[in-house]
Amino acid sequence: MNTNLKISNVTKIYPGCVANDNVSLEFNSGKIYALLGENGAGKSTLVKILSGVIIPDEGKIYLNENDLKLNSPLDAKKNDIGMVFQHFNLFETLSVFENLIIDSDEERESLREKIDSIMRKYNFSIDLDIPVLSLSAGQKQKVEIIRCLIRNPKVLIMDEPTSVLTEQETSELFLSLKKFSEEGILIIYITHKLKEVMELCDEVAVMRRGKLVSVSEIKNENIESLANKMVGQNLKTIKKKKEKTSSDQLINIINLNFISEDPFETNLSDINFSVNRGECLGIAGISGNGQSELFQVLSGEIISDKNSIEFNKNYIGDLNPQERREYLMAFSPEDRLEQAAIPQMAIFENVALNNFKSSNFFNNGLINENKIKEHSKKIISDFNVNTDNIELKSQFLSGGNLQKLIIGRELITSPDLLICFNPTWGLDVGAINYIHETLIKINEQNKSIILISTDTDELLKLSDKISVIHKGKLSKIMNADEVTSEKLGILMGGGN
Amino acid sequence: MIKIVKRDQPSRAIFFLTPILAIFLTLVAGGLIFYILGFKPFEALKFFFIVPIADKYGFSELLLKATPLCLIAIGLSFCFKSNNWNIGAEGQLTFGAIVSGGVALLFYEQEGFYILPIVILAGAIGGMLYASIPAILKTYFNTNEILVSLMLVYVSKLILDYLVVGPWSNPEGFNFPETRQFSDSARLPLLFEGLRIHAGIFLALAAVVISWFVFYKTYLGFQMKVSGFSLKTAKYAGYKGKKMIILVFLISGACAGLAGVGEITGPIGQLHREVSPDYGFTAIIVAFLGRLHPVGIIFASLVVAITYLGAETAQIFMQIPKYTGQVFQGMILFFLLASDYLLFFKFKFIGSKK
Repeated sequence: MNTNLKISNVTKIYPGCVANDNVSLEFNSGKIYALLGENGAGKSTLVKILSGVIIPDEGKIYLNENDLKLNSPLDAKKNDIGMVFQHFNLFETLSVFENLIIDSDEERESLREKIDSIMRKYNFSIDLDIPVLSLSAGQKQKVEIIRCLIRNPKVLIMDEPTSVLTEQETSELFLSLKKFSEEGILIIYITHKLKEVMELCDEVAVMRRGKLVSVSEIKNENIESLANKMVGQNLKTIKKKKEKTSSDQLINIINLNFISEDPFETNLSDINFSVNRGECLGIAGISGNGQSELFQVLSGEIISDKNSIEFNKNYIGDLNPQERREYLMAFSPEDRLEQAAIPQMAIFENVALNNFKSSNFFNNGLINENKIKEHSKKIISDFNVNTDNIELKSQFLSGGNLQKLIIGRELITSPDLLICFNPTWGLDVGAINYIHETLIKINEQNKSIILISTDTDELLKLSDKISVIHKGKLSKIMNADEVTSEKLGILMGGGN
Repeated sequence: MIKIVKRDQPSRAIFFLTPILAIFLTLVAGGLIFYILGFKPFEALKFFFIVPIADKYGFSELLLKATPLCLIAIGLSFCFKSNNWNIGAEGQLTFGAIVSGGVALLFYEQEGFYILPIVILAGAIGGMLYASIPAILKTYFNTNEILVSLMLVYVSKLILDYLVVGPWSNPEGFNFPETRQFSDSARLPLLFEGLRIHAGIFLALAAVVISWFVFYKTYLGFQMKVSGFSLKTAKYAGYKGKKMIILVFLISGACAGLAGVGEITGPIGQLHREVSPDYGFTAIIVAFLGRLHPVGIIFASLVVAITYLGAETAQIFMQIPKYTGQVFQGMILFFLLASDYLLFFKFKFIGSKK
């Protein structure tokens, strides 16, 4: 039987960001569809809408012409939509079989037969009676897939399924997915990996900034064309004047390595680069490739070997962020609400988080509240933060205003180097432009920036030099003029 | 129909109202338990909460019990505010009592104004030393401070046991497990003739004032606040996390140690096996019931102190086991945690539409 899934005019708005902007798509069984896009493009939101985790503000979902009301993941299950998430939802200490039957009310014996026949059919070999924790990532994924298959799904959605798999496991997965497709299951495959799309899928829908950019057949596309669509053309509304930058070296990273104890973090290996005064170095990459670790190593949240970071002719690799600030560095982390600011605290208290000594926020261990407030007022007016109440809790600022406050707090000490990580993530266009203008201004004042970002447009717009981080390694540093978005897209996906 | 809706932000008013709601619910549930046990609930509650503090002596006893609770809870609030889970105040109290008791015994049969300050200081240092163990293990060896501080409680109680039975036991004490009586110079003075309330209450009040100042006026207080909200932010701001962890443990240990001093140099006047009826554990409830706020902790310590007195009264007049006091303490914490749900969620009453 043919399955037809239709997404009709779906819109989902978060405060300060349109995650899905009037998206309409149609899928038919027998084909494998790719949903392609950068981080933050809106594909996860769309998938969560399909699986009932998020309820859209507007728009409808039709399955075989029936209007679906997906108010919870349970509704999705009932309507034969199966979903395998990027992170496994399994009970590690329970056995495979227990994990499979946990949300089913069928009898154990008949279920076991059913599971056995599914495994025979698709050539899965997993011992049902061992605990899940002893399985490999690929096997765990198979357990998740079997859990969907038990319910005879019409639609199977795979969210970035290969991020944890080895090459071998990936090709096994592709074989199974093709088989499912032949059986008549409609498959939607979410990814940002271009190679996989080319290898596996029949049709591809590209999303960018919440909008559906294109729908096309794979045979009409190649990696370059898809990369281009995914990343978007450069919108050079704000143009940086490319002056000759100085050759005066400000920061030099020498053979920096970081090995994490946390298996969910990325190790950094042999990072080498330098930034001159007045220069902006952009670091591109798909998130989760070591950006967060790199930021923390640069900011001093993770301390490294003293000699691995040379800043202004001082070796500072072993200093913490506060000490690095005294050498005129400043930092704007990615996570505004959990790291860069504390939402439950007032604006002026958040300003005091940048304890630069000569700001005199704290004298002899006491809080100098007047000084902090005076300073906060200056930041608010200098950086266009849209409020005049510095006692306001910062959770009431919009994302854009909060980011202006954070950037203002970091810049008010006139640092020589600003390191920022996704500074415009989730902001509206006005705030993005403001932040971009501010960053350009910093460069014009002969101060430097390291811009770690997953937004390629932003990088091409602001950077003088660009490098790509992939699996904790930096590519060679390229001049921004010579780089195209296609080339970045390929490097970001691990190509050459 | 009633619907539960998430609040946009935790409500400030509810933040201070839930402790009162928790106390109210505890009274209701307590009354119910008394009823099931076959007592008249109102009468029982009266014996529990009103009779004990109806006279001057009772009120003095209330303050006597509230003093260590308040002192320890103030110390704990330094830890809890900064995301350090020291639950071994009972052990720090015991060890503080051991050290100060040891010093007091050194001055046996001596008199002098200098003795008491040395004894008090010894108690604070004892508590700090004992609290430094979980702190150092946490900062340098990544151990879990909850487990370490808790287990050390039993160690300290066994050390005390050994000392009062063995080397420190009173030679003229007919083998009772207790030391000699301290000399008067090593005792905290009583405030009123005939009442047991002693000068230790000033230590508690001083702790309240100092903690308020530190929390709201100093850089340390600011760092603790930030660390309490987000350790990630504290790290990003470059606060010296390890130093702060050790400092808050030392403060909290000193307070617990002082509470120990108050017990042995106040009403008891010697070391024996039971220096504290679990004040160190009960103070955890006090700290949370008082919302980790110095003034809140004063009120909370008074409320919880009544459960100690009430349990004794109820045992005498109604033959209810005194452990009922612990039941009430448990219920307060239970209902407090439960009503904290209201901080983040609210009930919405919706008329039936269909």
